[in-house]
Amino acid sequence: MNLLICLETALREIAAHKFRSILSMLGIVMGVSSLIAMMALTAGIEKGTRAFMQQIGGLEFVSIQNKEISNALFEFWNLSPGRTLMDARAILAAVPNVSQVSPEMTHGALVASEFGSDRKGVRGVWPDHYVVARHELAAGRFITDLDVDQATRSVVIGDEIVWKLWPALPPKEILGRTMTINQSPFMVVGVLVRYEREQDKRIRTILAAQNKTRGVEPVRGRQSGRWDPFRGKNESVFIPLSTLFYEFKSGLFPADSVETVKLETLTFRVADLDFFQETLAQVRRVLDVTHRGVDDYDLETREEWFDRMEQSISATRLSGGLIAVISLVVGAIGITNIMLASITERVREIGIRLAVGAKGRDIFLQILVESISVAFIGGILGVAAGAVLIQVLIVVAPTENVPVMTWGSVLFSVAFAILAGIVSGIYPAMRASKLDPIEALRYE
Amino acid sequence: MSLVLLEDVKKSYRIGDQEIRALDGVSLRIEEGEFLAIIGPSGSGKSTLMHLLGCLDTPSSGRMEICGRDLSSATADMLADVRNRELGFVFQSFNLLPKLDVVRNIELPLIYSGISKNERRARAVEVAKSVGLGDRLGNRPTQLSGGQCQRVAIGRALVNRPRILFGDEPTGNLDSTTGEMILEMFRQLNREGKTVVLVTHDPDVAAITKRVIEIRDGRIRREYAP
Repeated sequence: MNLLICLETALREIAAHKFRSILSMLGIVMGVSSLIAMMALTAGIEKGTRAFMQQIGGLEFVSIQNKEISNALFEFWNLSPGRTLMDARAILAAVPNVSQVSPEMTHGALVASEFGSDRKGVRGVWPDHYVVARHELAAGRFITDLDVDQATRSVVIGDEIVWKLWPALPPKEILGRTMTINQSPFMVVGVLVRYEREQDKRIRTILAAQNKTRGVEPVRGRQSGRWDPFRGKNESVFIPLSTLFYEFKSGLFPADSVETVKLETLTFRVADLDFFQETLAQVRRVLDVTHRGVDDYDLETREEWFDRMEQSISATRLSGGLIAVISLVVGAIGITNIMLASITERVREIGIRLAVGAKGRDIFLQILVESISVAFIGGILGVAAGAVLIQVLIVVAPTENVPVMTWGSVLFSVAFAILAGIVSGIYPAMRASKLDPIEALRYE
Repeated sequence: MSLVLLEDVKKSYRIGDQEIRALDGVSLRIEEGEFLAIIGPSGSGKSTLMHLLGCLDTPSSGRMEICGRDLSSATADMLADVRNRELGFVFQSFNLLPKLDVVRNIELPLIYSGISKNERRARAVEVAKSVGLGDRLGNRPTQLSGGQCQRVAIGRALVNRPRILFGDEPTGNLDSTTGEMILEMFRQLNREGKTVVLVTHDPDVAAITKRVIEIRDGRIRREYAP
């Protein structure tokens, strides 16, 4: 008896008992649809988290931090120049796998335009900062090497600053305008994009779709009860590092030059993550030389942080998947139950088939194919129900990351449904195939 | 060579602590082309003998050969194979599959002998016509009369071209006229050379055969030609 006839017989049987078949499919339909929805939800969260990781600089981002030196080494404290531009240049020159280094100095200052003012941390940077911190320009350009060389009075500002100084003006029209930093005039040469989380972006698009005009603009300013990881980036005020030193710091440290003054922040970007640890070791060796062997620095990476995020993603996926799998198992038990009832009802049919020469394995195959068919059809219906469920979730809970239905999840769910069909069919099929033809023929 | 050869065949069942001897030393030989009736009252062991001859069961002891195959201790699959290729059954209660139409009921044995769909259909239709159901091919058993159902059953029994045709009280559920027609079909099939074995308790049915074996208390009591 070949599979095709088994399939034909199975479909005939399913069609002959439509209500019963739908009942037995229901468990699988629910299991598969919840599995699909669950996987879509976690995929959405995963995508959102990944995008967030990218936006904040990714794994490639490493920060060199100051460290308290131990008491034993305290006498040598003076030997180390600390984090200076020398470190930045030495790392760039000596470590090939470091693509960009971003030294930084900060100065709290009053930034002002003809329309508004605010106290902000003004940051002196190198052009590399643009790549290391993953900035994106809405208009204009970033700080360039020429700006740094000539210590020009150029400034690049973030979206929040734009809204403080020139409310509601498009980025393009801000280029070339003059703002003051502690009363010194600076020309705006670049405006950064508005950084926002994926979910905020989504809420805005949904609001925009609902209400054509309002809600399209992002919510600006400090908001209570909400942690915005991009607030710092949106409040950026960037000027050339050299300008910051000459303009605001040289009086404070008359003995220093821009080359020897201590930096507030020193970060770099690793080009090839495959050699991450090797690169860190090389950077340490360079810093040991420039710091004259004084152990007063630490390399801070995002590995642990990202690992924790990955762990929470897989924990979500696992718990969600587990719940869905439990409902699939319940569905499989439902099929087993109904198949058992169905073979009891069909003992005589099985007896007739045996009498005309069906072997035990023919009967086994027929019952198994039937339960697999039920589960497969249930699985397909479940995928459809899952797709609907996802749309419902998008409407009902729009603040979450948008669920993503992947082909992988569809294949996995249907495969799982088929597996459930096999598992649930084996016992009834075994019972049916072990029937004695004489007994079965006598059965009323 | 004999089609059926039984030598001192015994069959006993256990029901609880009791051992029931359904057959107690039966020896029997059936040749090609015979027309045979096995008669006896209920409980005589004729059903058990029928199950053995029909390869639905194996003997507890003794030797059983059917169509040249030693089936004294055959496996279920071996028996199924003989049932499928060498034997055809007609039952008292027709035993048709209610969800399948005439052609599909008739072709059922061919499904299990692995014959291709087209040949299966062609042979089933041909057999259906030969039993006089050429105009009923797409009907289901519930739409047929008792006589027609039994003809479908005969068609199903014949479709795999068996060497022996068994009838287990084939007229038991039919009125006398229809029963007569069905018996005539058996007689005609035997005339064409088919070996036919009828199991019955009805002496009138036994009377149309050429050899009658009377079973009582698990033994062959007598054998005669009517």
